[in-house]
Amino acid sequence: MTSDKADSDPHSPVLAAVGSALIPGLGQFFVGRWTRGWGILVAVAASAGLVSWYGEQPLWYVVPAIIWIWGVWDASTEVDGAPRPLLIPVIAVLAMFYGIGWQVTKIELSTLTKNIDRASAILGPMIRPDFVGPRQEFQQAFVTIEVPCSANPPPGERSDDGLSLVASAGCGSAGDELVVSGSSFWPGASAELWWEDTIGERQHLLSGGRIVVVEPDAQGTFSSTIIIPQMRSGTGQEANLDQPLPERFLVIQARPLGGWEFTENGMRVLNGIFETLSLALVATTLSLIAAIPLGFLAARNLMDRTQGGMAIYFVVRTVLNFVRSIEPLIIAIVFVVVVGLGPFAGMLAIMVHSVAALAKLYSEVVESVEPGPIEAVQATGASWSEVVRYGVVPQVIPAFTAFTLYRWDINVRSSIIIGFVGGGGIGVWLFQWIILADYRAVGAAFVAIALVVIVLDHASSRLRERII
Amino acid sequence: MLKVEHLTKVYPNGVVALDDVSFTVSEKEFLAIIGLSGSGKSTLLRCINRLVEPTSGKIEWYGKNIVGMNSGELRKIRRQIGMIFQQFNLVKRASVLTNVLSGRLGYVSPRISLPGIWPKEEKERAARALHRMGLDDKAKSRADTLSGGQQQRVGIARALMQEPKLILADEPVASLDPVLAHSILRHLEELNRDEGITIMCSLHFLDLVHRYANRVLALKDGRILFDGPPRDIDHARFKEIYGEEAEDVRATFVDAPSQ
Repeated sequence: MTSDKADSDPHSPVLAAVGSALIPGLGQFFVGRWTRGWGILVAVAASAGLVSWYGEQPLWYVVPAIIWIWGVWDASTEVDGAPRPLLIPVIAVLAMFYGIGWQVTKIELSTLTKNIDRASAILGPMIRPDFVGPRQEFQQAFVTIEVPCSANPPPGERSDDGLSLVASAGCGSAGDELVVSGSSFWPGASAELWWEDTIGERQHLLSGGRIVVVEPDAQGTFSSTIIIPQMRSGTGQEANLDQPLPERFLVIQARPLGGWEFTENGMRVLNGIFETLSLALVATTLSLIAAIPLGFLAARNLMDRTQGGMAIYFVVRTVLNFVRSIEPLIIAIVFVVVVGLGPFAGMLAIMVHSVAALAKLYSEVVESVEPGPIEAVQATGASWSEVVRYGVVPQVIPAFTAFTLYRWDINVRSSIIIGFVGGGGIGVWLFQWIILADYRAVGAAFVAIALVVIVLDHASSRLRERII
Repeated sequence: MLKVEHLTKVYPNGVVALDDVSFTVSEKEFLAIIGLSGSGKSTLLRCINRLVEPTSGKIEWYGKNIVGMNSGELRKIRRQIGMIFQQFNLVKRASVLTNVLSGRLGYVSPRISLPGIWPKEEKERAARALHRMGLDDKAKSRADTLSGGQQQRVGIARALMQEPKLILADEPVASLDPVLAHSILRHLEELNRDEGITIMCSLHFLDLVHRYANRVLALKDGRILFDGPPRDIDHARFKEIYGEEAEDVRATFVDAPSQ
């Protein structure tokens, strides 16, 4: 039977072609090209399955069809000798993956230009980072206004530290107009007008949607008409709008003192950057301490002397590979839950990831050391730990140092992002500012981060060059 | 002192490096091992201190079988056997002194060696070894700043620290020019003559064998082809050891052996 088949096969291209036309790959099975046959069958089935499952474009059915037809052609010709090159089916499959990939990615180039004005709303403030501002001093004064009026309203005037404010009435309802005037303010320095409710919530007074700013004249007096805003709303006790409560009209005036200083957000950026750098430094140092012994235990050339050693090697390798594959951001989410928000959680997360990453790099360094000196130290009768200490350590110190510096560099970058999940550092502020749409502060953070990364990148690469 | 019986080494890739090798070495011998590259010279030397694990056979060191010995006992044997290498095998980034001191690792306790705080007597011992090799002023230098000949002398000083009864020398002069080769071998000869240290030395050049060795072991394909005094290697033996084409090589590089 088998000899009959062997005799007939080389002369039956038609039979092979018919087989492949019925079931993709059957013709290839027929001539004993099993890998190729399975490949065609799987490729046709998988590509057809993919198109029908993701099926936005039935047009892609052309790909399994091409492979099927190519398989028929392949089966009908390859019985004569050399197999056909795989170029056509490979191109067809790649074209399908890229095409469907494009659809899955939902690429819509038009949106890039359609909403370009939104970008300027963000980029505008960002190019004016809220980092330093002119040095200023502040003074403020308020007068109590009762909202709404009771039988016995307050006087509507108040003097404090020489600053005096007079309102046209001591009470009113939301929406009422008040004429307010002040005296003894700093002449020529603009002042912002605020409203503060009875529990201390403040908001800018607005006129036509713009913040009201007044500028006292040369005598330090000003006068302005304001509308009492509706501060109380919503539910609960405060929702009782008929209850007369004391609220405040508030004037805050600033004047330059000359020179520059960090703004409030600027100080936050500085603090955040410092926290980020410290966090990365501590995490790198701690991970270094843990990674060095692990690096030696995960080095095959040191561990392959005994079976126990190989067992340790495989266990350590496996654990390291597993831990290394988890993003620090994910580890941080766990630690934030365990130890609470803050830099400690971020530090732990980065440390855990770094231990695995560094130990892997260290083990590769150890595996690439020259075997000669190790052999020489062994020959003196040294123990394992002495062989490591005298034969291996001097050889690996430069590369260890270089990799550690590189890791520190990486850790600073990832500790910036770790703040997004509450892991401390500049990222915490950055995340808040993005949510609050405070793009000037975001800009300040970006500038600070960029500076730190550039300086660090440069410094660490220079250091590494000098060591190796 | 050393008795090798039926020693066989088969590497995991199936290469038979040593095939039933037997010989004995007496004290104060200067034994040269010759043979083509791949004939098993390095493997033989490395089996003796078990840098290479023998597949089967026996290696007796003063009556104790080294094969199968546990690592504690092995270390006690290893420290009596110095070793020098073709590529010197110094730790390049460490100082000459540290390299020499590492020869003492078989004797000192880990409390001394691991922190690297060596007692005065050991440093003096190292200084004496360096003095003997003519390297007094090099103790503080980094090993890789030395020339090849100097590095090999550091290698000998390291072996001397072991107060060895036997020195295994694996092609100790193959990376050196002829003048330096003689200088290194004279040092070994001196140790052999004055200290009574037995030398087992693999060599490529027959003129060196004739000049220094008092016994020759010739290996071919892992088997001993010849064992006797150098003068007994005649033309026919030579061809047997090195193969037919070897004649040209000998004419160019090797003084014709006395026939």
